[in-house]
Amino acid sequence: MAVDAQKDAPFKSAQVESLVVMKIVKHCSSSFPTTATGSLVGMDSNGVIEITNAFPFPTVDVSSTDGHQSDASALAAAAPRAKANTVYQNEMIRHLKEVNVDANNVGWYTSATMGNFVNLGFIENQYHYQRDNDKTVALVHDVSRSSQGTLSLRAFRLSPEFMAAYKEGKFTTESLQKSKLTFRDVVVEVPVIVHNSHLLTSFLHQIPAPPEEPEMPLPASVDDIQRQPAQLPAHPSFDTLDLSIDPFLEKTCDLLLDSIEAHYSDLNNHQYYQRQLTREQFKISQWQAKRKAENAARLAAKQAPLPEDEWQRLFKLPQEPSRLEGMLNARQVEQYSKQVDGFTATITSKMFAVRGNLLPE
Amino acid sequence: MAVEQEHFVHLARPLAPSSFAAGSAPLTVNLQPQAIFSVVDHAVRRDIRDTQSTRVIGALVGTRSEDGSEVEVRSTFAIPHTENEDQVEVDVEYQKNMLALTLKASPRETLLGWYTTSHELNSFSALIQNFFASPETGTFPHPAVHLTISTEPGAPIETKTYISAPVAVSADRAAESCLFIEVPHKLLFTDAERAALGSATAAATTESRSAPVVSDIESLTQSLETLSGLLERVSGYVGEVLDEERDGSHALGQYLMNALSLAPKVSPTQIEHDFNNHIQDVLMVSYLANTIRTQIDLAQRLATAPLASGFEAGPGKDGKDGEEGGGKQQDGGAGGRGGRGGRGRGGRGGGRGGGQHREPREPRENGE
Repeated sequence: MAVDAQKDAPFKSAQVESLVVMKIVKHCSSSFPTTATGSLVGMDSNGVIEITNAFPFPTVDVSSTDGHQSDASALAAAAPRAKANTVYQNEMIRHLKEVNVDANNVGWYTSATMGNFVNLGFIENQYHYQRDNDKTVALVHDVSRSSQGTLSLRAFRLSPEFMAAYKEGKFTTESLQKSKLTFRDVVVEVPVIVHNSHLLTSFLHQIPAPPEEPEMPLPASVDDIQRQPAQLPAHPSFDTLDLSIDPFLEKTCDLLLDSIEAHYSDLNNHQYYQRQLTREQFKISQWQAKRKAENAARLAAKQAPLPEDEWQRLFKLPQEPSRLEGMLNARQVEQYSKQVDGFTATITSKMFAVRGNLLPE
Repeated sequence: MAVEQEHFVHLARPLAPSSFAAGSAPLTVNLQPQAIFSVVDHAVRRDIRDTQSTRVIGALVGTRSEDGSEVEVRSTFAIPHTENEDQVEVDVEYQKNMLALTLKASPRETLLGWYTTSHELNSFSALIQNFFASPETGTFPHPAVHLTISTEPGAPIETKTYISAPVAVSADRAAESCLFIEVPHKLLFTDAERAALGSATAAATTESRSAPVVSDIESLTQSLETLSGLLERVSGYVGEVLDEERDGSHALGQYLMNALSLAPKVSPTQIEHDFNNHIQDVLMVSYLANTIRTQIDLAQRLATAPLASGFEAGPGKDGKDGEEGGGKQQDGGAGGRGGRGGRGRGGRGGGRGGGQHREPREPRENGE
């Protein structure tokens, strides 16, 4: 039992090999702004998912047909759950197994722009993976944010409660009330840890190569310095000190507007539904009253009463629209606002630093 | 951006096959870090059970510039092989399948050559090199690139790249001999990869060889700390020169002067003005984003909150009972609730200029 309990326990963190990080970053940034997706292999040990290799899914070349960027993105975003890619993935894993790579699928990765990944497609993909194997994870690499200097790689999985709800496919107000599921419970973020092998560690210490002697000879001229600029280590990176504000704010506002739009259309759907429901119910009650009166008349005339439940055939109550879209949208907005908070924190400190520098007290 | 580039004298290659013109042109190999990472990973996963070889081999995949003078190694895949004193066996079938699979995912890339994890060049190397350079299975008419990475424990990891020219004492030995010519290579990475490399390097500097992906603000702290350390060092050096404890350098002085003169000359009021403008922009967006989040959060909560009992569950169930009184009551209740819900939403909409939004709502409803 204890073993079972341990097995079922959700993993605590995702340990990603640098190789996987590099592969994902490369794939995502080379196909930017089209969405890129791929598969992850690795294994799960002691509550940590070790992701040791990754490979991209085949891209469908849409440029030959009526090439449109969003089509390519949509196709790529749907790739993880496409049948053809499942075959591809199995084939690839079989081949990787022969060269001693961990041959278990542990999830998939996708690229994102400014955190705009919480959507139906993402949920469906992760559901597709998590349904077969609970220990799978979705890695999201945010290309736009990584280009600001800090790697943005996050791991997500669907919560068990959401899995159960999605399995039933019911997201009505009633079922949500019963399950107490809110938009906060849709996806669970898993901390990501970057890991290196010993060999890679020694390689990383070599780039850039440290100076051979502690005391460098003094340069003879300015040209000397410019010809051989100092090699800065990749960490900590000075790209984070960049002071660009506007592109970030602009993009965030755009995305927020999109979300508001989505929220409104969701709201409209529900209001439409509610009005429709009221109208139908009004009609039903009218019909029932009429039938009642008719029956009373028939009773008075000693005739057999007409059935009173015929309205079920005559009137159809409208279907309640799914609340899922709204939930995801709410989660997405939460994501944006957290992102903006983070950005505000860094940019204000940078701006105060600049002001302090330019305006000495 | 290149981090590692050696100085290289380019000589025209001797003995290049004369059948194609590009043969003697200079060739530069650009390595992308993930290619090296995956070679290193492969070296770690080496199978030592049934082979005597101490090296692993694999194929290099990437792009080639139009004139063939520059190749970029973008990815690699491992190929199983066994090696002993007198023979080498490469899984050709595996190589073919894997190449097809890899190219399916990245159609613009081609086979470039192969790698191995030791610097030794022997007759087996020549054999494999000829296999990868051959017209049927390899890169012909372009030269096949051979990348060697030393993975000796305790020694620095060195990379070398070669191309080859055919050479043989007799025709029947041609298959297993070739002349390896070293070509220059450099490690290239883009801005996005720099961030990834940064987090990998952060992991490399810790004892456990792992590090969490840090948030923006944490990495900013680290950068600022390093930056202030560097500034400290420079000012320390300048101080020492001024105190005549150290020899000054005209070049360094000039360089520092140039750097300092880059500081913009702007009037303090202008700076104050720009600063306030920008900080207000940032705070405004942050404020708006949080307001929107709160409102949508509220909308979600109100939408699913059990405000009054019996509404949501009402119509379906009670309808089945078909009782007149019950039905009527439910309808009344539903209407009331619906109305309340609608008003609540309208009110919320009004909070962010809902007056405008209320208009388009009506036609939409009719349209549906």
